[in-house]
Amino acid sequence: MSEQSKKPNDKSRRDFLQNIGMAGVGTLLGGAAVWAGFNYDSKKTAKQRIKVLTAENKLVEIEKDAILDIEKSPAQQLTYLQQRGRDGLEGKRFVMVIDLSKCQNARKCMQACQEAHHLRPEQHHINVLKMQETATTQPYYMPKPCQHCDNPPCTAVCPVDATFKRQDGIVLIDNERCIGCRFCMAACPYSARLFHWQEPLFSEQDKDLVYDVEQNVPQRRGTISKCLFSADKLREGKQPSCVSACPNGVYYFGDENEDVVTNGTTKESFRFRKLLADNGGYTLMPELGTKPRVYYLPPKGKTSPFQEKDKEEAAEHFHG
Amino acid sequence: MTTNQKYNQFIAFLIFSFVINASLSSRNWKAPDDQKDKNSYIKFDASTAAQGEAIYNANCASCHGNPGKNNALKSLNPIPPDLSSTASQSLTDGELIYILNNGAGLMPSFKNSLGEEKEWMVISYLRGFNKNYIQELSKFDPAKSKLVKLVSSFDKASNSIIVNATADEKNGKIAIVGAEISVFVKRYFGNFQIEKALKTDASGLAKFSFPTDLPGNKNGDLEVLVKLYDENYGEVQVTKTYSIGVPTDKPGLNEDRAIWNTLVKAPLWIIGLYATGLISFLLLLAFLLNNLRGIFNSKV
Repeated sequence: MSEQSKKPNDKSRRDFLQNIGMAGVGTLLGGAAVWAGFNYDSKKTAKQRIKVLTAENKLVEIEKDAILDIEKSPAQQLTYLQQRGRDGLEGKRFVMVIDLSKCQNARKCMQACQEAHHLRPEQHHINVLKMQETATTQPYYMPKPCQHCDNPPCTAVCPVDATFKRQDGIVLIDNERCIGCRFCMAACPYSARLFHWQEPLFSEQDKDLVYDVEQNVPQRRGTISKCLFSADKLREGKQPSCVSACPNGVYYFGDENEDVVTNGTTKESFRFRKLLADNGGYTLMPELGTKPRVYYLPPKGKTSPFQEKDKEEAAEHFHG
Repeated sequence: MTTNQKYNQFIAFLIFSFVINASLSSRNWKAPDDQKDKNSYIKFDASTAAQGEAIYNANCASCHGNPGKNNALKSLNPIPPDLSSTASQSLTDGELIYILNNGAGLMPSFKNSLGEEKEWMVISYLRGFNKNYIQELSKFDPAKSKLVKLVSSFDKASNSIIVNATADEKNGKIAIVGAEISVFVKRYFGNFQIEKALKTDASGLAKFSFPTDLPGNKNGDLEVLVKLYDENYGEVQVTKTYSIGVPTDKPGLNEDRAIWNTLVKAPLWIIGLYATGLISFLLLLAFLLNNLRGIFNSKV
């Protein structure tokens, strides 16, 4: 029993000293390592680390060598579509002529426009207005898109060059630059612009689409949207969505430099200046000096009556 | 028969004749007899009907609605007829294509936007809703159009385009007489027709006086399209470029410096005014700071 109890005692003393020694050396080495590491790290903070803001808006510090450049395709960089949208089509001066005597309030232009530019039913790039100047004059329907003025008050007030006029006369908005100040809405005498107060109609489906300035799709909350004369279609030699959707031949669209406008419904072409001269063409609010690129032909010799449901509304407006 | 009865009969007759008149006057088109019996040179089958359906949906459905679905555009007056109805189907192929070509009432012409081939395809689609319909093919042979030679030239003295239509028949070259010729100038969104369509004379010639003020490109070039339509030879078209337009090279609309243009194209007076203002403000600031330094440095 005593022999058995002696043995561990002998071993324990030697072991104890050995352990102490090892622990001491270990602590020293470990401490040195931690100290060296800390020293190295603190040096690195100054030189080899940088602060970055993550997508989740969190400020973090990462090592410089851990940075990976993400290769972007031309489409992802947006510069191509944005530049193309800013340049416009060379040698063209687009004009629209709206014949009020033919409009029957079919509203196909509005539908086609909302489909093309992913707008809600209550959002309009083009709107068909019910018009009546006085109680005794004839009421008529008047489609009203952006007038694409040659002296646009809207682009003059934009503080960030987000809205601009191109060489072919089209006034566009780049919603990647737009800060949503709505100065342009206030400046426009034709109320042609709309603001996305809420999430746009197809924001969920469109989120992976590359932004096209000429179509303004995807639309963005907190930015302005406006009529674009379907600039993306013009590039392909097609007429704007509203023009080709009209069943009643209301719209003519063409190039002023060619002096020819083509009817969107019948595809018949006419001399632009002669069409205006023969029919008493005019522009909206010419006294403002905005020089619109949208011309109107007066509602003379209308073949279709003002709709019954709209007559009541007009009567209320004058007598109610 | 009492006078009262007679009076009632008279009223009834008046109402009846009025209704008949009204229904006749709502049909404000009438196909000429030679157009009425016109038949398609395309054989109607499932493939032409399918193509016709696509054309119909893109161009016709917005007003006429889908055949048999009673979804025409009701806000129009008169309401566009359902084209699968017995009334519409009782029209001949010739009458249908006449309406498509010339329009009827509120309906516009589709002659330029569709063209004859597409129009026949739409009719092919619509005839699918009529089980009793048996097609009568036109005797026209499309291969004959290859024999046609259309030559156009510009006559400077009379400022007109002269079109000469001939056909290389087996028995030699013959002039095509009485063919319909139309001349167009190509524009960005469509073709602009010069004058009206003319018929070729006995020597196969047609003369179109050309406007002197039509803008061309930088060099005044215009692409002129000449179309021939003849009962025997079908449709043939040729294009040729002439230097007869007004040379046009207008600058872009955003070239000039203007207050509405982008920052780099702002008017010089704005840039000058802004720069002067900014420099004056900085100079004033420097002056004030210098004075302040003078006050602190001075030992009172």
